[in-house]
Amino acid sequence: MTVDLVYDERIGRQDQELGVDLWFPLPAPLCLLTLLLPPFSPGAPISPAEPIRQAYSLALYMQKNTSSLLQTYLQYQGSPFSDPGFSAPELQLSSLPPAAISFKTWHALEDGERLGRAQGAFLALSQHLQLVGDDQLDLNPGSSILLAQLAAARLRAQGLLGNTAAIMTALGLPIPPEEDTLGLVPFGASAFERKCRGYVVTREYGHWTDRAVRDLALLKAKYPI
Amino acid sequence: MDIYFCLRQPSRMVDSKRMKTGSHFQWLLFSFILLYLMNQVNSQKKGAPHDLKCTTNNLKVWDCSWKAPSGHGTFYEVCIENRFNSCYRSVKTSAKIPALLPGDHEITINPLHDFRSSISKFILNEENVSLIPDVPEILNLSADFPTSTLHIKWNDKGSVFPHHSNVIWQIKILRTKRMEIVTLITHNTTLNGKDTVHHLSWTSDIPLECVTHYVEMRCYIDDLHFSGHKEWSDWSPMKNISWLPGLRRVFPQDKVILVGSDITVCFIIQEKVLSAHVGKEKYPLIHLDGENVAIKISNISASPSSGTNVLFTADAIVDGTVIFAGYPPDIPQKLNCETHNLKDIICTWNPGRSTGLLGPRNTSYTLFESFSGKTVTFKRTEEATSEDYQLFFPMIPNREIYNFTLNAYNPLGQSESTILVNITERVHLHTPTSFKVKDINSSAIALSWRLPGNLTNTNLLCQIEINTSNSVQELRNVTIKGVENSKYLIAVDKLNPYTNYTFRIRCSTETFWKWSDWTIEKQHLTTEAIPSKGPDTWREWSSDGKNLIIYWKPLPINEANGRILSYNVSCSSDDETQSLSEIPDRQHKAEIQLDKNDYIISVVAKNSVGSSPPSKIASMEIPHDDLKIEQAVGMGDGIVLTWNYDPNMTCDYVIQWCNTSRPGPCLMDWKKVPSNSTEAVIESDQLQPGIRYSFFLYGCKNQGYQLLRTVIGYIEELAPIVAPNFTVEDTSADSILVKWDDIPVEELRGFLRGYLFYFGKGERGISKMRGLESGHSDIKVKNITDISQKTLRIADLQGKTSYHLVLRAYTSGGMGPEKSMYVVTKENSVGLIIAILIPVAVAVIIGVVTSVLCYRKREWIKETFYPDIPNPENCKALQFQKSVCEGNSALKTLEMNPCTPNNVEVLETRSTVPKIEDTEIISPVAERLEENCEAESENHVVVSYCPPIIEEEIPNPGADDAGGTSQVIYIDVQSMYQPQAKPEEEQENDPVGGSGYKPQMHLPITSAVEDLTAEDDLDEAAGYRPQANVSTWNLGSPDSPRSTDSNSEVVSFGSPCSINSRQFLIPPKDEDSPKSSGGGWSFTNFFQNKPND
Repeated sequence: MTVDLVYDERIGRQDQELGVDLWFPLPAPLCLLTLLLPPFSPGAPISPAEPIRQAYSLALYMQKNTSSLLQTYLQYQGSPFSDPGFSAPELQLSSLPPAAISFKTWHALEDGERLGRAQGAFLALSQHLQLVGDDQLDLNPGSSILLAQLAAARLRAQGLLGNTAAIMTALGLPIPPEEDTLGLVPFGASAFERKCRGYVVTREYGHWTDRAVRDLALLKAKYPI
Repeated sequence: MDIYFCLRQPSRMVDSKRMKTGSHFQWLLFSFILLYLMNQVNSQKKGAPHDLKCTTNNLKVWDCSWKAPSGHGTFYEVCIENRFNSCYRSVKTSAKIPALLPGDHEITINPLHDFRSSISKFILNEENVSLIPDVPEILNLSADFPTSTLHIKWNDKGSVFPHHSNVIWQIKILRTKRMEIVTLITHNTTLNGKDTVHHLSWTSDIPLECVTHYVEMRCYIDDLHFSGHKEWSDWSPMKNISWLPGLRRVFPQDKVILVGSDITVCFIIQEKVLSAHVGKEKYPLIHLDGENVAIKISNISASPSSGTNVLFTADAIVDGTVIFAGYPPDIPQKLNCETHNLKDIICTWNPGRSTGLLGPRNTSYTLFESFSGKTVTFKRTEEATSEDYQLFFPMIPNREIYNFTLNAYNPLGQSESTILVNITERVHLHTPTSFKVKDINSSAIALSWRLPGNLTNTNLLCQIEINTSNSVQELRNVTIKGVENSKYLIAVDKLNPYTNYTFRIRCSTETFWKWSDWTIEKQHLTTEAIPSKGPDTWREWSSDGKNLIIYWKPLPINEANGRILSYNVSCSSDDETQSLSEIPDRQHKAEIQLDKNDYIISVVAKNSVGSSPPSKIASMEIPHDDLKIEQAVGMGDGIVLTWNYDPNMTCDYVIQWCNTSRPGPCLMDWKKVPSNSTEAVIESDQLQPGIRYSFFLYGCKNQGYQLLRTVIGYIEELAPIVAPNFTVEDTSADSILVKWDDIPVEELRGFLRGYLFYFGKGERGISKMRGLESGHSDIKVKNITDISQKTLRIADLQGKTSYHLVLRAYTSGGMGPEKSMYVVTKENSVGLIIAILIPVAVAVIIGVVTSVLCYRKREWIKETFYPDIPNPENCKALQFQKSVCEGNSALKTLEMNPCTPNNVEVLETRSTVPKIEDTEIISPVAERLEENCEAESENHVVVSYCPPIIEEEIPNPGADDAGGTSQVIYIDVQSMYQPQAKPEEEQENDPVGGSGYKPQMHLPITSAVEDLTAEDDLDEAAGYRPQANVSTWNLGSPDSPRSTDSNSEVVSFGSPCSINSRQFLIPPKDEDSPKSSGGGWSFTNFFQNKPND
């Protein structure tokens, strides 16, 4: 419920600030809302195919915007972040599970395990995106475009989170409990650390989205409609 | 012993040198020598204590030490020879003695129980004592890493010093393990007899985290009462400050600095650092301890919103920091405080120059009110805008004066701006709300509105803008007592009934500061009132005289005061009243059948409220005298009628006009004019140019009208559209009578001003009359301005000739078209007969008279024309020759050669090209010769000539005859034609006959002037001639063409003869000039042309 409340606030503010949502088609938030609903409506006849299809389309939609988010984010951080071709793969966040995994390991994973890892990752991502949004409010208070994109990314991460939960329910898998992945770490971070953190989060958001598309494609093949 | 001394001494010297200057050195040297000598003397005996040396660290006790041979169990007794003779015992070769007074003191050191040694005596003075303070101790060294500041704390131990002294502290700061001295700080304090802890802060240019910093210090006590040596203490033990390596590796983090300043950033790392970048720019590395590096950024430029990134790249680690370079806050600009509602004060300001810092580093503002001590803080909305900022400050009850200070601060500094306001003078009210309009009556309305705010103690000034539909604007100010958050109501009167008004309102307080914004406009139509006056009426009897037609004009809107619904017309006489039923509004006339009694007709206009006062008009016939019809022309769109003021006309004037060009009833329109006016402008769309209108001015006296003036006129005159129709009434041999008709008024289109009649010879089909205006010479024009004239007789014409006649009319508007006609005049037979008879008769008469004369004088004729023996004297040829000879004689006056007659045969044709030079010298004589020799052949002339012989006496030129022609001829003879003796000399008719040599008579022959003078005034020429160069007297060269144009002209300028002549200056012009110029040939041509032949 907390998530829903925050979500509404963010949408409201976004509309006030921008009037027209340039990069985020208007029906999308509505779509997300509907996607969020299934976990909260128990008792419905459960078939995994439909939630898988919905999750897969959302993941595909997210995939289209991830590079735009990363580019927008870097553009606002100044050189060298904004330099063309900037990349720092060595930067990682301990609180964020890396998306990189060997194909063999990934393929050998059980469906539940695979979905559970994605679930955990997007839970962490949604929290981190909130943190990055707050950081950017300090660093770039005038960049409404970036702030709105970060908020939108967080919403999508939460949407996917809901979808995977629906799939797991449909498959009869236990849903991992929500946990605070951020812990006590982030508050004393320096501006440079915040910039790096935001970079890692937006980058990993893209990687995890790519991985989720693969996860769901695999699942979709297993459970055709 | 000596060696020790010598070793100690230089070290002291060095220390002294550091502190004191050269004079101290000399003094030290002197004391040294003195001490040395004393010790030498005192230690003559081997084994005695020697090298007494005293120092002090607190000016109270002197530490004295000496050298002595070491002996077991030896102790010393040190005695000071003064009035107390105090002695101290010591087991060591040193002793503490209380500080002695200035002056020399004798000290004896007696080694007891050592028999080898003897007593030593020393002279001790304060000047020989050194003041060496104790080594200071740094109590605490701490660091404030975020600000890179070191805090040093120490105790001056002032309690040990007996009196106040100045102390100089030296604090040395070093960094890196290489102990590079960063700075040496000198710090002055005063000892005040108590132990005092001192603080010193020092800010490093490099973050303290980057490298270990070391601090040591020493002191120097500058005691004015102490006359001995003063020396620096030793350096204190070093203390250091260093950063415990943690998660952070780059320092400083998130530093906010001023644009243009310098900053050092370091990277603490155990591996080799490869590069450092600030933004895109690579910076050189400064190596610190270990692998740690730093970079120095000089003159940093303003950062973007998210700061300037500094990035260090090591082998496996990338780390960095962000620097925010910006500006301290500008002084808040245009700080202004006002209130909208007398509850809150709103202060606005402009932040001025951007600081370039955002987020938590952005400028914070606090508004402080000094009388109340209250503070409000500016809360920034999410996005910083460049617009003015504003803060609300709650008003304090019963307070009018506020002193605001707006403080702006950010990490780089702060600024402030103040304003003192009397808030009652700074009321800027909100726009009134709930603005409504309500009717009171037809000329007044009520306006109501609301104004929020605590306005109880103030008077409001409100401005009402009243606009009517015809854009007349009116502003009315009203003052109202203010109330708390309430509704205000005012009445607006003096409005017109049934008028559409728009109202809006704005308010201020009576102590005017600013108007509020206008409310939105409210449109309102005032209610109707009864029409203020009756309609203008006019009447006319119908053509059959039985009915009276009443006309009236619709009331203008400002008099109708509403929508006119109907009119009531009634007529009343003394005994009856007849009323017509209601006539609807669109109809503006009524016809009443009346007898010829006098009736008064009244017309009343009615609207929904009521009826207007009646307009009355009498029915009786309007008397009119025979008035002269006047003419008037308008300005194109109207016409102005003026009349004299007549006090008898009490009601009004009516001007009625109609189109008189058109047949039928005359009423077209009418207009009522107030009785006090003397002119009326008739303007109507119905009035058209070129149409004649009649205007009738009626004056009203006691309801009865009377025709005052009748005017016909045009609002604009045009040219006639037809030509007058004209006919030829009568034609004779030399005259034509033309008659024409009037042009109808409607085709005239203006007042006729006259006719133009053109006539000239011409036949049908030959358009000779084209371009009448351009005026051919053979076309005659007659302008007939008497417009009553209808006929014209054209006289002086030729008989039997075709004439072209054209007639056109004109008005002030222009010329009308032309009408033309061809007429042939009749033949004139009498004139022809006379013309033949008269010449015949004249010829006959002349023939008869000639015949009679010839018969009567036949003898004389025979003698004259056909003599039997010709008379040589009458031969013109001979006369000619003589003249030639005479002329030549003048040329060669001095030649004494006999004149040999020559015969010259001259062959000349007139066609020979005449030379200009030839004509120049044509003399009058030559002309005359030409006349005389007319009979001779032009082409073949035989001339005899001889050298000139000049006679002294010359006959009167006027009396000369054929034989008395001029004797002297000056001509231009070329040398090859030297004249010879003149054979014809004897033939001359000269009465004197003087010949022979004539001296002084040879005039220059080159000048034609002389020729003339000689010829004209021979009597003068015969006299003495001065041999002047006469050519110089000529204005122009004699050869010049100018001089040939007219001999007379030439002569009129100076001539040689003028010197001695009296009267010949004016030549006989008329005779000579035409001849000289007109003559086809001249005498001189013979000579001139000769060589060419």
